[in-house]
Amino acid sequence: MPIGNLDVPIIGKNVVIATLVQTHILFAAFIIGAVLIAATSEYLGMVTKQPNYERFARNLARFVVLLFASGAALAITFVLALVTLFPVFFSILQNIFFWVFLVEAFMFLGQIIIVYAWYNVWDKLAYRKSLHVVFGFIAGFFGLMAMTMIDAVASFMLTPAEVESQAELVARSFLNQTMVPLNMHRFIGNFSYAGFLIAGWGAWRYLRTSREDEREYYDWMGHFGLIWGFGFLIMQPVIGYGYLKGIRESAPESFNTIMLGDKAWVFNLLVFWIAVLSIASTAYFVHKLRFAVRPMETLRKLAVGGLGFTALFTILNIIPADADLIPQIGLSFLGGEETKIPLGSMYPWKYIGLIGLMLVGFFVIALYLRATASGFHWGRASRWSQYALMSCAFFVVLTMVTMGYTRETARRVDNNPGYLINDCVTLSQEITPESCPTKPLSEAASE
Amino acid sequence: MIELALLLQEGSTGDPTGLGIFRFFAAFFLIMTFYISFLGFTYWISKDE
Repeated sequence: MPIGNLDVPIIGKNVVIATLVQTHILFAAFIIGAVLIAATSEYLGMVTKQPNYERFARNLARFVVLLFASGAALAITFVLALVTLFPVFFSILQNIFFWVFLVEAFMFLGQIIIVYAWYNVWDKLAYRKSLHVVFGFIAGFFGLMAMTMIDAVASFMLTPAEVESQAELVARSFLNQTMVPLNMHRFIGNFSYAGFLIAGWGAWRYLRTSREDEREYYDWMGHFGLIWGFGFLIMQPVIGYGYLKGIRESAPESFNTIMLGDKAWVFNLLVFWIAVLSIASTAYFVHKLRFAVRPMETLRKLAVGGLGFTALFTILNIIPADADLIPQIGLSFLGGEETKIPLGSMYPWKYIGLIGLMLVGFFVIALYLRATASGFHWGRASRWSQYALMSCAFFVVLTMVTMGYTRETARRVDNNPGYLINDCVTLSQEITPESCPTKPLSEAASE
Repeated sequence: MIELALLLQEGSTGDPTGLGIFRFFAAFFLIMTFYISFLGFTYWISKDE
């Protein structure tokens, strides 16, 4: 019986997959980050005896348990859609990554069991707190392992491994050229994304509540979330650079498409979101330093300087390389691609921008953590500082979907043809043996 | 609308069809709708404490 080539009316089957996967990732990344943040918070509560940590950890664990249903439902719907709409492609993936998928399934199972157990035995293990904290970290570990497995598949789709024989197919495909940097990028990203969302949620609740003790708690929550969000965000330029370097070496056409070519606008969009995140976070830190228990005026002045430099470096990152902004919708001016903008070139300006942003970020967060050590007066934050946190939550979601789109669209290059597995399997599920570096895959096509 | 989209991309190198542009925004809309709905629902079932 031939395999049917099903399509979906109006929106098409690519949109179905994109919708299910992107939404799933927004939940999955949050769950992995949130479980680890909650477990760390519970540990900090155990060590410092400060009630905020414990309250926060427990509420977050509860939310994660409830949110798990949505994340898992989307994952299974996605697999069903992939089997139905891309059966040949899925079959190829299964042939290469059978063991990886199997391990992932068990990691997923382990994560569900331990997350539920972790939340449910919270009171039962109240006097064995260390053991309970370990439950949380094990749940996070399982989540990270599940992510690692799917990262092997996702990275292989962009940079399929150079494989000569069947014997080395699984190992080389798993550890393909961009697997490790992608995994690191997502590992750090989980914390940052979850942290910003927590900060935004804390800010929203802070503005909505009128009870003094609640205001203090949600003010603290916004601060705690932002430390995770911004603290991990500033590591991303270096790791992201490593990932892009891997793409440039293994899939240069894809690199050119997303960094210099038709789709360079997605990267400009991305740095714009990061600019908003950096400026809003630094502005929040500057504001918060006014409420340090021990007055720290010098630190605050230094942080104001940091804010200025953050703005300067982010502007440097945003400037496009040429006047061809979004060619797909005709957004180009002054001669388009021919008009180069000197300050928009990758070398040296973008490098200066990214490295500068990181260094200033580390400097500002070091100042802030220094002030955090002596504490803040909670519940006094201004409204606009909470708006800054909420805007971080909003823009981090845009960052996530933009990055997801960037990675997936990199395989399309000029759409002639677009690939599901770069240089190996086209969007119409045909194997292209002449260009595919994974020889067992090419040989299977010719048999 | 599609004519407008096609007009806007004249001279572009990416050359997507009008349908492609529609699908790009359709996907974005659907992702945001699912995401906000599921988060909202989860909040709604969890706020009973």
